[in-house]
Amino acid sequence: MYETLDKSLLKQVGTSATRLDITEKLTGEAQYVSDMVFPGMLYAKIKPSPHARAKILSIDTSKAEALEGVHAVLTGEELDYRIGLYVVDKDILAKGEVRHFGEAVAAVAAETLALAQKAVDLIEVEYEVLTPVLNHMDALKEDAPLVHPDLGNYDYVKAVFTPIPGTNIANLTKLRKGDVEQGFVDADYVIEREYDNPSVQHVPMETHVAIVKWGLGDRVTIHTSAQSPFTVRNLFCRTFSLPLNKVRVIIPHVGGGFGGKAGIHIEPLAACLSKKAGGLPVKFQATREEEFSLLPCRSALTYRIKTGVSLEGKIIAQRMDMYWDAGAYADYAVNVTRASGYSASGPYEIPNAWVDAYTLYTNKPYGTAYRGFGHVEFHWGIERHMDLVAHTLGMDPMEFRRLNALKPGSITLTGEKINEHTGSVIACMDAAAKAIGYGKKTKAELQREKETGLKLGKSIALLQKAPAIPSNTATAAVVKMNSDGTVSVTVGLTEIGQGSTTALAQIVAERLGFRLDQVFVKVEKDTDSDPYDWQTVASKGLVLSGNACILACNDLLEKGYKVASHILKASEDDLSHDADFIYIRNHPDNRVSWSEISIGYAYFDGIGIGGPLIGVGSYIAQGLSNLDKETGQGNPALNWTFGAHGIICEVNPVTGEYALRKIASAFDVGKVVNPELLRGQIIGGMLQGLGTAMCEGYIYDKEGHLLNPSFTDNKIPTSMDLPFEVEAIAVENSQIDGPYGARGVAEHPMISVAPALGNAIYEAVGADLTHMPIRAEDVWRAMEDKKPIDNWITKTPIGSCQPWPDPEHPISSQTKKP
Amino acid sequence: MLVTFSYKAPQSREQLLDMIATGESDSKLLAGGTDLLVNIRNGVYRPKMVVDLKKIPGVDAITWDKKTGLKIGPAVTINEILTDANIRQHYPLLCSCARDLASFQIRNRATVVGNIVNASPCSDMAPALLCLDATVLIESKQGKREVPIAEFFTGVKRTALKPNEMVTSLHIPADKAGVRGVYRKLKRIQGHDLGIVGVAVANVGKGARIGVSSSAPTPVVTPLLPLSLSLPEVIEAVNVIIHPISDVRCSKEYRTFMVGEYTKRLWKEVIS
Repeated sequence: MYETLDKSLLKQVGTSATRLDITEKLTGEAQYVSDMVFPGMLYAKIKPSPHARAKILSIDTSKAEALEGVHAVLTGEELDYRIGLYVVDKDILAKGEVRHFGEAVAAVAAETLALAQKAVDLIEVEYEVLTPVLNHMDALKEDAPLVHPDLGNYDYVKAVFTPIPGTNIANLTKLRKGDVEQGFVDADYVIEREYDNPSVQHVPMETHVAIVKWGLGDRVTIHTSAQSPFTVRNLFCRTFSLPLNKVRVIIPHVGGGFGGKAGIHIEPLAACLSKKAGGLPVKFQATREEEFSLLPCRSALTYRIKTGVSLEGKIIAQRMDMYWDAGAYADYAVNVTRASGYSASGPYEIPNAWVDAYTLYTNKPYGTAYRGFGHVEFHWGIERHMDLVAHTLGMDPMEFRRLNALKPGSITLTGEKINEHTGSVIACMDAAAKAIGYGKKTKAELQREKETGLKLGKSIALLQKAPAIPSNTATAAVVKMNSDGTVSVTVGLTEIGQGSTTALAQIVAERLGFRLDQVFVKVEKDTDSDPYDWQTVASKGLVLSGNACILACNDLLEKGYKVASHILKASEDDLSHDADFIYIRNHPDNRVSWSEISIGYAYFDGIGIGGPLIGVGSYIAQGLSNLDKETGQGNPALNWTFGAHGIICEVNPVTGEYALRKIASAFDVGKVVNPELLRGQIIGGMLQGLGTAMCEGYIYDKEGHLLNPSFTDNKIPTSMDLPFEVEAIAVENSQIDGPYGARGVAEHPMISVAPALGNAIYEAVGADLTHMPIRAEDVWRAMEDKKPIDNWITKTPIGSCQPWPDPEHPISSQTKKP
Repeated sequence: MLVTFSYKAPQSREQLLDMIATGESDSKLLAGGTDLLVNIRNGVYRPKMVVDLKKIPGVDAITWDKKTGLKIGPAVTINEILTDANIRQHYPLLCSCARDLASFQIRNRATVVGNIVNASPCSDMAPALLCLDATVLIESKQGKREVPIAEFFTGVKRTALKPNEMVTSLHIPADKAGVRGVYRKLKRIQGHDLGIVGVAVANVGKGARIGVSSSAPTPVVTPLLPLSLSLPEVIEAVNVIIHPISDVRCSKEYRTFMVGEYTKRLWKEVIS
C-alpha cells in the first residue's frame, strides 16, 4: 500500500522509535501468565511416560485421589476429546498407548504444586513396553510398527494434506515442474547428497503456562502464554464443541514464542482439570524438562538433493526428497512439510523440479512450528549443496548463485513469476559479500592466519521465505480516539517480543499525521474485546496488521473529516489536519481540534453530531491459492522476503575448534519501519540460528529416552557467543502491498546461518559437513574423515534399526557424463 | 518449591557439628547452593535438613602467610578468590581455574570448597588444587583430620567426607606460592558450560604437574614430571592418568585427543 508515496516525507516510519513496552519489561513490571495467581487457584502436574512406546495396562490413581488438597485427578480414559491442528490425532492424555517419552498419561490439580507433585508420584501406571519407531527413515519401512494404526479414521484438512492410512506417513506433499528425468539426461553433471538436522527446542524464557477456569454455564476463561489467542479459542471450541463466544482467551506479555506457542498445547488439559475440580482455576506451567519432552520441538529433517547442472553452471533439474520427523503427532509438522515443499529449492530458479516431502510419525516428542517454519532446516541442505555443486564445477559459489538466483522474470517452483517488486536476493548477496570482503583475504587477515596458525574461511548463504498461511488469512485493527485527541489501538496480533506493537504505533502515527506519543497500542490480548487475527506467526504481522492499521486510520480520518466539515461549514475536500486540529486548508485558523470531536460534538442549540471516533480496518491476504495436490502449482506466497548471510570463520586446523570473526546479514525488507528494532530482530535471529548451527539438538538413547532435556546438555548460545563483529543490512525494494512498502523479516534472520557456517568451515579447512549441529568434534572428524559416532546429535539414534541409507545407496555421489 | 526441609543456620562450628553428629544422610550442608539447590530441585537429594554454614564466624576468610601458606574457608566464593590480592599474586593457577568456572553470577555464590565437596569429575577448581597439593581440613564431633586433595575424591560425586563431617578449610602449602600455571577447558559454547575436558599445567619449580578434569571418574593429576620431557612424553604421562568415556557431550576419542592438544598448548605456554 502507498508504494508511490515519497519516502522522504515519512516522519514516523523509518525512525528508531523506542519500544513502547521497554519500561515495563526492563523494570519487571510487565505481567506474564507465569506471574499470575488467582483466588482459589489450583496447581497442576502431569505424570509423564518413561517409555517411547508402550501399552498402558492399568493406571491406579486411588492413592493420589485420597490425598487431602487434591481436587482433580484425570486419566486419558475419562477424556473423550481429541485435538489436532491439521490432522486430529492427539488425545489430551494418552489413551491405551503412549507414543513418546515424556507424554502425559495422567494429571492432577491440587492446592499446592508440592501436593500436586506428591499426588502424581502416587499414581501407579503399568506398561507393556513396545518396540518404538525412532528414526524417521525407519518409519517408512514396510515392517515398521505403526505409530497411529487408526490414521485412516482421523479427521484432517483435506484440501491441503494427504495422510496415507496404513503407514507412518502423516502427509505427503508433491511438487512437479517441467520434466526432471529429461533434465538429468540433458545435464552435464548430476550431483547428489543427503543433509540432516536433529530436532531442537525453542527454549522460550517463559515455559508454556496456562491458567484455565471452566466456569458455570461452560463459560471458559483461559489466560495463556501463547502466540495466537484466536487460534487457541478456535481449536479449543472445536475440541469441546463450544460456541466461540463462550470462551475467552487472554494473553498478556509473552516470554518468547518462536513458533512453539503458535497452536494449542496445554490449555485443554488445564481446562479439563478445572472442570473436574468444580470450576476452580487451574494453573499448569511446564518445567524446563517438560518443555523438551511434553511440549513440541522442531522436527528433524533428512533432505536428499539431486541436482543436474550444465557445464556453464546453470541448474537444469533438481530432485528434492524431504523426510520430516513429525514425532508422535502431526501438529504443525505436516504444514512445515507443505511450506518447505513449495519453497524447497531456496531462492533459485529450477526449470525442472520434483519434490516429494514426507511427514513421518515416530515415537518421539512431536514437532511443531519453529521460527523459519522448515526453512532453517532445508536451507541447511540447499545452501551446503549449492556450494558442493559450485565446487564440483570449479565455479565460485557466489557466481554460481548469481547465475541461478531468482530475478525478475524467473518462475518459482510453484509457477509464480518474480518481478521487480518481489525483492532482490542478489542485492542481499552482494551486500553481505561486500561486508565480509568475500573472495579474498585482507593483509591483516593473512597476517592473523600466520600468527595464530588458524585458518580463515569466508562464505555466503542465501535464503527465502514467504508466510505459510491459508488463503483467507485476515486481521483487523481498531483505532479509538480518546477525548484528549490521543488514540488507543487494538489489534489481534500478539506482542511476543518481535516489536510489532511499536512498529504498528509508528504506522498509525504516520498515517494519522500524529505524534508517536499520541498513539498507544495495547499489548494484552483478549478475544472478547480485540478484533480477530488469524495467528501471530509466519512473519506476516507487519504486513497484514500494518495494512489493517492504515485502513483503520483512513476510516477514522474519514469520520473525523465528516464531523469537522459540518462544524467548519466546509467541504471535506477543503479540509486538512495535523496532530491537533482539523482545519480549512486555505484558512488554517478556521479549525476544530481532534479532542473537540473525539467523543462527539454538540452545538450550542443541543444538536449533537458524530460520537466517539472509532476507525476500523480489516485486511485479508490477496491471491493465495491452495496448491494442486499432484503438481504443487499455485500461489502460496503473500510475499517473499529474501536475504543472505556472509560469515568469516576462524578454524583450528588441528582440533576443529572454531570461532566466528564476523557475520553480515542482509534482508530485502521492502521498507525499514524501525531500524533499531530491525537490527535487534536480525541479531536475535542470527544468534538463534547460530545456536542450532553450533550446539543444539535432541539426543536419544536406543530406547527413545531423551538424554538432554535441560540446559546442562542442551546448550544454547549466550551473549558471549556473538561473533566478534556483527553487521545488519537492510535492502529496500518496496513491496507493493506492504504497509509503506514493508515486508516481514521475523523468521528470516535465523535461516541459512548454519549453511553459511558450514560453507565457511569448508573454505577454511576443507571439512565437509552434512549434518547439524557443527561441534568442534564434528569438524575434527570431518577433517580426519572419521565417521560420526552413532549416539551423537546425528541422524540415527543408536541402535534404532538399520542405518540409512543402505550401503547400495550412498549418501553422496557425483557423476560426470561422458 | 516442591520439597520441604528444615533450614538451620548455626552460629558456631560446634553447633553445626552437633546438628550433623548423628551422621544421618538426610542432612546437607549449604554454602553457595549452586549445586545443592539444583540437586534438590532435580530430586537427586531429598534432605530433611539443610544446614547453612555461612553464619559461622570466619567461614568466609582467606588467609595467607608466607610460612604456613593459604587457607580458604568453606564459604569463600569463586569471585572472592578472583579478587583476592594474595591469591592473584601467589597462586595464579587458582584464578585461572576460577575464571573458567560457570558464569559471573554463579561465581558470586559458588564456593571453592563446594566445588570439591560436590566432587564432579568436571570440577574446575580441582585441577589447580591437585597441582598445588592442597589439603582438605575436616572436622567432626570426633575430632579433626586432614586429607590430601588427591585422596579426597573417591569416585563420581563421591568423597572421603563422612556424613557427620564438614570441611573447615582448604590448605595450600607455602612452598607452592609462586607456582605458575594455566587452566584451559573445552566447552560447547563460549558462555558458561561444563568442561568437556579441562587441563591445568603448573610449573612447580622442581618439575611440572598436570591436572585434568572431565576425563576420569574424578579429577586427576600427574606425578611430578621433569621439565625436560618432550611433548610426546608429556602426553604419554597424561594419557596414563585419564580414563575418558563417551557421553552426550563428547566421544572418548575426541576427549583423549583434546586432553593431549590442551596439554601441548599449555606446556608450550607454561613450561617451554
